Amino acid sequence: MRVLALVWPTLRGLEDAAPWEALLDRLDDLSPRVEALETGVALVDVTGLEPTHGSERRVAARAVALAGMDPVRAGIGDNRWLASLAARLAVPDRDARAACRILPAGEGRATLAPLPIGLLPAELATRDRFSLFGLTTMGQLAGLPRSAVSAQFGAEGERLQALARGEDPRPLTPRPRPERLATTARFEPPAAGTTEITLALRRAATALTDRLEGRYLAPGRAILTLLRDAAPPLSVVLSLPESSTDPDWIARLLLARLEASVRSPDTGTDEDEPAITALTLVLDRLAPPAARQLPAFEPQTGRWEELRWSMERVAARFGPGRLWRATVDRPAAARPELQARLVEIGHEPG
Amino acid sequence: MTLPAAQPLPEVLDALRERGLRRGVAPLPGEVVIPAVPTGHAALDAALATGGWPRGALAVLDAAPGHGATSLAHDSVAAAQAAGGLAAWVDLSGTFDAALAARRGVRLEWLLLIRPADGAEAIELAAWLIRSHLLDVLVLDLDGSAVPRWDRLAALLPRSDATVLLLAPPALRQAAGRVAGVRVQLERRAWLAVGRDLVGLRTAASVTRHRWALAGGTAELDLYFGEGRRIDALLPALAVPQAPALEQPEELPALTVLSA
Repeated sequence: MRVLALVWPTLRGLEDAAPWEALLDRLDDLSPRVEALETGVALVDVTGLEPTHGSERRVAARAVALAGMDPVRAGIGDNRWLASLAARLAVPDRDARAACRILPAGEGRATLAPLPIGLLPAELATRDRFSLFGLTTMGQLAGLPRSAVSAQFGAEGERLQALARGEDPRPLTPRPRPERLATTARFEPPAAGTTEITLALRRAATALTDRLEGRYLAPGRAILTLLRDAAPPLSVVLSLPESSTDPDWIARLLLARLEASVRSPDTGTDEDEPAITALTLVLDRLAPPAARQLPAFEPQTGRWEELRWSMERVAARFGPGRLWRATVDRPAAARPELQARLVEIGHEPG
Repeated sequence: MTLPAAQPLPEVLDALRERGLRRGVAPLPGEVVIPAVPTGHAALDAALATGGWPRGALAVLDAAPGHGATSLAHDSVAAAQAAGGLAAWVDLSGTFDAALAARRGVRLEWLLLIRPADGAEAIELAAWLIRSHLLDVLVLDLDGSAVPRWDRLAALLPRSDATVLLLAPPALRQAAGRVAGVRVQLERRAWLAVGRDLVGLRTAASVTRHRWALAGGTAELDLYFGEGRRIDALLPALAVPQAPALEQPEELPALTVLSA
């Protein structure tokens, strides 16, 4: 097995997971086995990619290009430990934003032998004991009898010795690929009116949600792309207020957002809209349908939930800052304007 | 509530109607029932002859500033919410006071507040909300800058269940006159006071236009500020018409009515 380790120092510790997830999605195009070790560190199984991509250095370059983010350190080795160590040891050239180090296949032990023992993932107390025994390089630890290491350092010592010999039995654990459903409807001749698009969109939404309902899943996001005649595609992305399999509402909200985007000055006006040649609907972020315990004895609750969906359409049509809810947080405040607070609907805390 | 057993049915129905409990009582043969939203004042419900604001209608509140139109709108929203309804307030003028509304009994968790950019957008948003068929009361609080298209609302309202209460300057109220289902004129008659504090106003309400019943009904409404509802419950019998507040001994607070 050959493993490529990629480390983006600027991404480590990042709280917002969205750019990291998007980067991993792009790496999926290179290999079906991508493991996210932590935010900013990915392991990719690159076994057998040479015939299609060329040398291992080219494979690494391809991965870096797909990720589209730098600075990055890449390393390739026979297992996850060697690959991670290679990435750690990769030193960029003077002005380069990426660095790569490749440990030749089957030569892990020989490559590691001169390296300092401090590179092993050991606790401080264990390192101190290594130095007490005069062990300074990985080769010295690797050359000791396994039974002697086990007697002196226990199971932890055995594990570290295996690493020093370039052995790491831990397999790669690929992340599950995010599932997405897509369908395309083509218009021949191209559609010019909204009626055909509306009907096709509803049909597409119904077809996809029918497939999901049987599996007790619902989408959290819908992406509608319209391919236009002699014009760039028009795409709208809709995060649903809650995961739902109601095709009618998904279609309605998408159309409302589409109308709003067409009406915006960036995309011109309704009059010069080109004809639509195809429509693609993608549903992703699948999760069990939202189910909530509604407060008992409040007759308004059910209708308010329905109203929330209508409000999503209103927000898409008119833009943010229109729909508010008031709360009285400090009824005893001296000045009336300090007693109540307005919270925009859709942006409520918690 | 107990009703005399020997009373004939029409009188029992009248008694229920007077108490604002007409809902749930089947109409008599030939009786036409206009669905309505309670105004929050039994006297005004009776004056309107429909048991409240007719649903699917625009109700114009004709009142000069300080004569109780906003207070009446608050009371109507609170009454609709108490009956299990939802309400929205289109606040074009930017003057909605949430703390005051809450003190007047409006449940803010079931109130949608709309802040449109201009008058045209206010009407468009109102139209969207009316089409949702989920609202019982929609208050349109417009300012002088609005030039609404009343014909749009007029086309939508008859097919909806909502009552639209209009608070607007005189010119706009005049323009809305031809599509209004109900017009109620409000005129302040007196201030209500407890000790030295003004706690509300007494307003004469007269129905000047009614599409489904005879106009001309009148009612006297006590509209309280802030905690007025509680004061109303505590001091119902202490109102002394025309008694100057300053003559009341301070250690015995009582509700007094001052000439406006």
